Amino acid sequence: MSTAVTAPPPVEAPAERRSRGLRFGLYLAGGFVVLCLVRVITGADELTSSGTLAVTLTATMPIAMAGLGGLWSERAGVVNIGLEGMMIMGTLGAGYFGFHYGVIAGIVGAVLLGVAGAGLHALATVVFGIDHIVSGVAINIIALGVSGFLAEAWFSDLEGGGPTQSPPLPTPFEINIDAISGPANTLEGKHWFLISDLASVVEMFTKNLSSLVVFALALFFVTQWVLWRTRFGLRLRSCGEAPAAAESLGINVYRYKIIAVLISGGLAGLGGALLSMVSSSGFQVGQTNNRGYIGLAAMIFGNWRPSGLFMGSALFGYTQALPFRQGTVSVHALLLLVALLLVAIGVVQLLRKRRVQAIGAFAFGVLFLLWYLVTDIVPRDFTTMAPYITTLLVLALASQRLRMPAADGQVYRKGSAG
Amino acid sequence: MTTSTTARTAEAIELTGIGKRFPGVVANHDVDITIHTGTIHALVGENGAGKSTLMKILYGVQRPDDGTIRVDGQDVSLSTPADAIARGIGMVFQHFMLADNLTVLENITLGAEKLHGIGDDARTEILAISRRYGFGLDPDELVESLGVGERQRVEILKVLYRGARIIILDEPTAVLVPQEVDALFANLRELKDQGHTLIFISHKLDEVLAVADDITVMRRGTTVASVKPGDVTARQLAELMVGSELPSPSTEESTVTDRVLLEVEGLELRDAAGRPELTDIGFEIHAGEILGIAGVEGNGQAELVETLIGMRQPVAGTVRLGERDISGWSTRERRAAGIGYIPEDRQRHGLLLDAPLWENRILGHQTRPPAVKAGGWLDVGGARTDSERIVGQYDVRTPGIDTTARALSGGNQQKFIVGREMSGDPILLMASHPTRGVDVGAQAQIWDHIKQARRQGLAVLLISADLDELIGLSDTIRVLLRGRLVGTFDPQHVTPSELGSAMTGADSGADSGSGDDA
Ligand SMILES: Nc1ncnc2c1ncn2[C@@H]1O[C@H](COP(=O)(O)OP(=O)(O)OP(=O)(O)O)[C@@H](O)[C@H]1O
Ligand SMILES: [Mg+2]
Repeated sequence: MSTAVTAPPPVEAPAERRSRGLRFGLYLAGGFVVLCLVRVITGADELTSSGTLAVTLTATMPIAMAGLGGLWSERAGVVNIGLEGMMIMGTLGAGYFGFHYGVIAGIVGAVLLGVAGAGLHALATVVFGIDHIVSGVAINIIALGVSGFLAEAWFSDLEGGGPTQSPPLPTPFEINIDAISGPANTLEGKHWFLISDLASVVEMFTKNLSSLVVFALALFFVTQWVLWRTRFGLRLRSCGEAPAAAESLGINVYRYKIIAVLISGGLAGLGGALLSMVSSSGFQVGQTNNRGYIGLAAMIFGNWRPSGLFMGSALFGYTQALPFRQGTVSVHALLLLVALLLVAIGVVQLLRKRRVQAIGAFAFGVLFLLWYLVTDIVPRDFTTMAPYITTLLVLALASQRLRMPAADGQVYRKGSAG
Repeated sequence: MTTSTTARTAEAIELTGIGKRFPGVVANHDVDITIHTGTIHALVGENGAGKSTLMKILYGVQRPDDGTIRVDGQDVSLSTPADAIARGIGMVFQHFMLADNLTVLENITLGAEKLHGIGDDARTEILAISRRYGFGLDPDELVESLGVGERQRVEILKVLYRGARIIILDEPTAVLVPQEVDALFANLRELKDQGHTLIFISHKLDEVLAVADDITVMRRGTTVASVKPGDVTARQLAELMVGSELPSPSTEESTVTDRVLLEVEGLELRDAAGRPELTDIGFEIHAGEILGIAGVEGNGQAELVETLIGMRQPVAGTVRLGERDISGWSTRERRAAGIGYIPEDRQRHGLLLDAPLWENRILGHQTRPPAVKAGGWLDVGGARTDSERIVGQYDVRTPGIDTTARALSGGNQQKFIVGREMSGDPILLMASHPTRGVDVGAQAQIWDHIKQARRQGLAVLLISADLDELIGLSDTIRVLLRGRLVGTFDPQHVTPSELGSAMTGADSGADSGSGDDA
């Protein structure tokens, strides 16, 4: 009987999975080499200076945390557009607890306030079955109001504080390895192709590196491991893919969804802590500046996967950092980078036989190249738009097969199995 | 194991006075069933008789309105599947309960991670079971890429993997070919010998008689008879179920014309990774002809149909409908040109489950009357009237056409789809498992509808795991094996077992068969 059935030959799935990690590494390395190339061609040394990279890292991590929060919640099937609000709560928590009780309390407070916001979202969407977007938007509005109100109540009378900002906050412990960062700095100054650029990277990781950033980075690996390698993660993802099937196997769908949303809020809160304690010197009203939404965009860009979402956040972070480093010159050099990137995308799309995207990529690539060639600097207005335009183009034209969790955003009612 | 001697005499399940009402329907009333430990108990009954509902109640998915449930002699209240699982009950649902974007392994281990983890141990175990029953499943494949037969195997593997003591199988064999059914039954008997209790629902009465120890018949929501397989024939069982005779499909005089309606030439299809899925497919169907495609699920049937309806793009080959080359046409154009399509998985591709029946009537017919008026406006009245016609003509048991598709029993959903696809006078019908899950009475009706349309010149591409259906309806049978058409058979002279071995490539039948091919 064992020979009775003829099925197609099994595919080598584990190899595919391994190759995904490899591909991620390749993209990252390839992108970096192109960046170095552009730096050498344009002479815009700020493109890969350790200063730029350091700012990039601090700009990236809050977005990445929001994105990671979105990942957790959407993998369990709950769209969390309330990330922005939870992040606001995080900045507020960091401001209050950080100022009064120190760094650790600030971080914990930020996470807890984020979780509180998420609790509201979980209650509304999972327990009461309210539309996810409606609840999320409501949370954003509430959080904005609450933060403004509480900031005024808490910080107005403090020295160095005001109705819209907290006094300077203590910063988390910073890692400095002078023995490495010193020589790296020297090497960076030589402006050698690739070598100096790599030295900048080394310097970024050895000079004034915030421990909170390291912690946040580690969370990516933790997430990857928990969601794809543990039973808890499998159950959580099953709730986002096929809650009815999960329930038919005895899984308490509500519980996993709620946990996922709470974790999501905690991560967004942590993103808020990063904003007010690492990226800047204290809490300010409106500090998040839509980073919660950008995190969501990065998550979609990253196809609901940690590695991709990190790349997306880094892209945002980098293009946000660049305007601050000799903006008009650097962003001008960025034009060439974008042109090259688009051409590369065009080639890949051509190989995949996606003609429309390929043509689009080439067309925009040529446009950007022309723009680069006929101008010397970029108007200041454009430098602030750069992050969004770049990302939009890359997102639209690199379009891979985006695959969101099948039951993402759908309200699930207990007893719908069968 | 120690309990097996004592348990053998005990009752695994006792249901007394179970009742369940849905808006407009009494799905179950006064149901009394006793199921003995260590037996295979079959549950039969016409579409909508309440079998699935009863099993969902037993599995904790739905709560009964009245009655008591006893498991192993204890009164229980099952409010979630988790409760039922804790009592050692496992269930294969009539409609698949799988997560598309998870792998086979993940789908199987989900909820049962304690047994072998979710890593290599589980993989080894799954491969072992899969090999033992000839399932040929790859644990790391995404469920998304599986056809109905493979999905069904995954579902069965799910319960086998868990080793539940009481296993409910709601129509597990509807899309399996006879060899797979045999393998499954051998396994069920083995489980029974180990002291497991099995509840088995099927519309294939020969199967029921072959495997069951006890049979309970349901009609209109309640149990009407309990019989032993030795005491009844399939015909008598059918009469108990539907009060009508067991039909035997037979081709009457041939209606095949010499007008070629569908002509396929050199069709090649590859998957995303470039592996061939269909190779050099070529055939013709004439007006008034039914071409049956035999084959074990996963050998390219689904791919063939999806390519012909335009859901997938072949890398080479031409498709002609009548005089016209339709290779480059979209699905919508193909359908508008008169191709009907009964998909293999009614819930995935055939229905909007949460839309009322009359809206489902419009699905796939959104370019033409009676559902849509010129200019693209919906003709609600037309759609409703025509839905009423389908419900009447195809005997769809439903409180009305405003009922959502989800609320219909599986067989009634199927009947509605068949009715819809047969409306608007299609010139070509592509039917994958057209009578899947349909009771014997309704099956005969559907066959009659198809035959009648054939007399008027309908060409049919028929894919079915039911070899009797295939042989009974088809004018020609071709065998699809590993993406190639390997043999041609004359249904008048082929036996199911010959066909069966050709389908698996197990004998030389494929070679001798392809000899007839011009
Ligand atoms: N969720 C629901 N809402 C409303 N009505 C329902 C629902 N589920 C089932 N029903 C109704 O209950 C009756 C019994 O359905 P059930 O699915 O149990 O039939 P069945 O015996 O399994 O039929 P089949 O052989 O076609 O699968 C049907 O009339 C059906 O319309
Ligand atoms: Mg049923």
